[in-house]
Amino acid sequence: MGTVLFLGAGLVLNDGYKKFLFRQETVLTIGVFSDSYWEVQNGYSYRILEDAIALFEKEHEGVKVEYVSGVLKENYPEWLAEQMILGRGPDLFFIFGEHFNDLAEIGALKDLSKLAERDEDFVQARFYSSALNCGKYGERQYALPYECAPKLMFVNKTILTREGIALPKEDWTWEDFYEICKAVTKDTDGNGTPDQFGVVGYTWQDAFHSNGVQLFDRKGTECRLTDEGAKEAILFMEKLDGLYDGYHVTSRNFDLGNVVFQPMLFSEYRAYKPYPLSIKKYSGFEWECIPMPSGRRGANIAELDTLLLAMNDNTSQTEYAWEFMKLLSGDERIQSEIFTYSEGVSVIRDVTEADKTLQLLIDSSGDDNGLNLSVLSSAVENAVVTPKFRNSKEAVAEVDKAVRDIMEGSSNISMEQIIWNREINNFLKNRLER
Amino acid sequence: MEENRTPNIIYTWMLNLNFLIILYIAGIMTAGTLGYVHENSALVFMHQVSSAAMAPWKIPTAALLLYGSLVLFLCVQTENNSFSYVKTSVEIGVSLILGYLLNFSYSGMLLLILADVIRRTGRIKRRYAAVGMICGMYLLMDYDLLSGIFHITPLETYLLYYRGDIRAILLGVKNVLFSLNILFFIIYTVQLMRTQMNEKERILSLNDKLNQANEELQLANRQMEEYARESIKNAEAQERNRLAREIHDTLGHSLTGIITGLDACITLIDIAPEAVREQLKVIADVARNGMTDVRRSVKALRPDALERMELEKALLEMMEETRKASHVEIEYCCTAELGHYNKDEEEIIYRIVQESITNAIRHGRAGKIMIAISMEYNVMNIWVKDNGVGCAHIEKGFGLHHMEERLAMLHGSLNYYVDNGFILEASIPIRWGE
Repeated sequence: MGTVLFLGAGLVLNDGYKKFLFRQETVLTIGVFSDSYWEVQNGYSYRILEDAIALFEKEHEGVKVEYVSGVLKENYPEWLAEQMILGRGPDLFFIFGEHFNDLAEIGALKDLSKLAERDEDFVQARFYSSALNCGKYGERQYALPYECAPKLMFVNKTILTREGIALPKEDWTWEDFYEICKAVTKDTDGNGTPDQFGVVGYTWQDAFHSNGVQLFDRKGTECRLTDEGAKEAILFMEKLDGLYDGYHVTSRNFDLGNVVFQPMLFSEYRAYKPYPLSIKKYSGFEWECIPMPSGRRGANIAELDTLLLAMNDNTSQTEYAWEFMKLLSGDERIQSEIFTYSEGVSVIRDVTEADKTLQLLIDSSGDDNGLNLSVLSSAVENAVVTPKFRNSKEAVAEVDKAVRDIMEGSSNISMEQIIWNREINNFLKNRLER
Repeated sequence: MEENRTPNIIYTWMLNLNFLIILYIAGIMTAGTLGYVHENSALVFMHQVSSAAMAPWKIPTAALLLYGSLVLFLCVQTENNSFSYVKTSVEIGVSLILGYLLNFSYSGMLLLILADVIRRTGRIKRRYAAVGMICGMYLLMDYDLLSGIFHITPLETYLLYYRGDIRAILLGVKNVLFSLNILFFIIYTVQLMRTQMNEKERILSLNDKLNQANEELQLANRQMEEYARESIKNAEAQERNRLAREIHDTLGHSLTGIITGLDACITLIDIAPEAVREQLKVIADVARNGMTDVRRSVKALRPDALERMELEKALLEMMEETRKASHVEIEYCCTAELGHYNKDEEEIIYRIVQESITNAIRHGRAGKIMIAISMEYNVMNIWVKDNGVGCAHIEKGFGLHHMEERLAMLHGSLNYYVDNGFILEASIPIRWGE
């Protein structure tokens, strides 16, 4: 009798009771949001997913794929959390890069490593390794990338032409960057305050990434703020800041055409470049995107923003969910649609580098200059993927506080680095003890 | 089991209290989770939890089913040692799953198992291992300790949903319930100890009584032995008196007559030789009568069995009676013809066998006796061996002495020694109907 109750509890816990109570047809549920991840209303919200579902249902007869429509991107994380908490989490769902850590940490996501190893159709090499790494927590793969966007440097070509400066090469350095910024920062209307600037939105993180600084170790137990590379990056940031003499430059200045450089995601380029959307925003100048400048110890690289696909750890449809994931993230038919219906970059190298893609980009942007697919591809391939651990967002916020403090302070940088490093390490330790 | 009533009642209370506590905690967890969802702060909750949540209704359902199975397992009564180990292990396993379900915020159900083990304490060997195991589990099943190793969501996270004052009340009730459970356990243990102490006292007093009775019995035994010895002596004395009387009455009478007659003959022999001849005839008659009297006396001493039946039959009957009376195994082997002996020879054969069996049982405490009777030329050999304790120094008692005497009368010999029991050999020359 005791055993019967015990087995009953087991059935409740692993959803086995459903087999007794309902005769289920195989339904695969997908968690998805209605608008674009890249904050662009393009009217194609479910287009790629619908195409994938059509393909999938044709290939797997008897399996129905369902999703709840109408959940906005801003409400999506809350909606997903509610569904998960209520035990109704979809079998498969999209997740934002910033929420991936927490979900992986609490064990809400299925470990895909075994599935990937077992499946011969799944070739990791077809993916951009950086994009794949975005879905890794520890050494395990908990999510597959769906689409991504590298950070690139946007250049106001109009100012450069006016100042007689050539467009920087793809392998340009901090020195080139600084020289151009220095050259263009001036007071053009003669009212006593500078109104033309070098750069806006270039953060210490961009500087760290391009100078080869790995801020945390893989497990997030140690901070490396005391690295020489970090010191160089901070000094460089101070130097750049020194150009504006306390004047606060905003992205509004860039929109108005008064700033030469602004780092942006490639998706923003895709969103605002094409006519007629570009009319509203950057209409007064010609612009182009190039890789980020490299520091002395690093390369022309930056971070990657990725939209991921993950499987619910409690799903009862592991095999179908995995097949559908593969279809969404690894099938060239679906992935090539990203360039048509979304603003991101495909995570499959062959798709991104295809001639068709270039043609598509040129067609949609209305001009053929500047955009080099190999630049884009290598920016994705070489993008920095920061180690993910629980509360890494908070840890980065701590470092942000530290860098600001060091830059504002007047004392010895190395000393401040050491002090702050100790403090952040304490923070990391307490986080582990929590 | 009358004396176990108080602990049993407390145990029932504990079972009910644990039911209440588990329901309470599961209720808080479920209500808290639903509350978070209701307030649209599922994401906040998701960030606070350390493990993937399950559907809220599942927690109380599974918890109650598990608790039910635990109670039923606890109700199983077993005397079997290894089975009780399996039982305890299963119970601990169920409690661990239950603990896991409640995020290790409650481990009081282990006290139930401990109480159950202690209750069975008298009948279970090596119970310390089980008690130690449960105590260890109880100590280790602590949220603060386990949260360092596993990812567990503390109950406080669920409680955080509630307003401060309500949270305080909920926590207070929880603590009261927890303390109540421990209090019950302590009272239970004390009651059980009292019951067991009473039991021990009762056993001790019973033991005393038993010892006393034993001593009395031993005394009685000794008295009986003394009485037996006295009886034998009495019997001997009576027998001697009877013999003396017989000798006096028969032999004495005849011899007196013979002596008187012979004296007369001595006087008469020269005067009247004819009269002497007559006299001598009379004397011979007296002597003959005397002889008849002696024979009659001897006949009166013969064993009753021999009076009634043949020697062989008498022996077999005697052995059978002994077997029946004292359950001793007797092996009997006779190669000699047992008929046509003189009465005194038959008697001594019977007496020797009887006496040997008696000795073997009485002094040797033997369980098995072997008897062999054989004939070699004109000598009958009787060989008796037992598997008794034998004795280091053979003390010749009345029995052996008597045997020797009787044998000597028939020119026979007696031999006895100890070799894995007592061995007796007797040889009797047979006169063949003289």
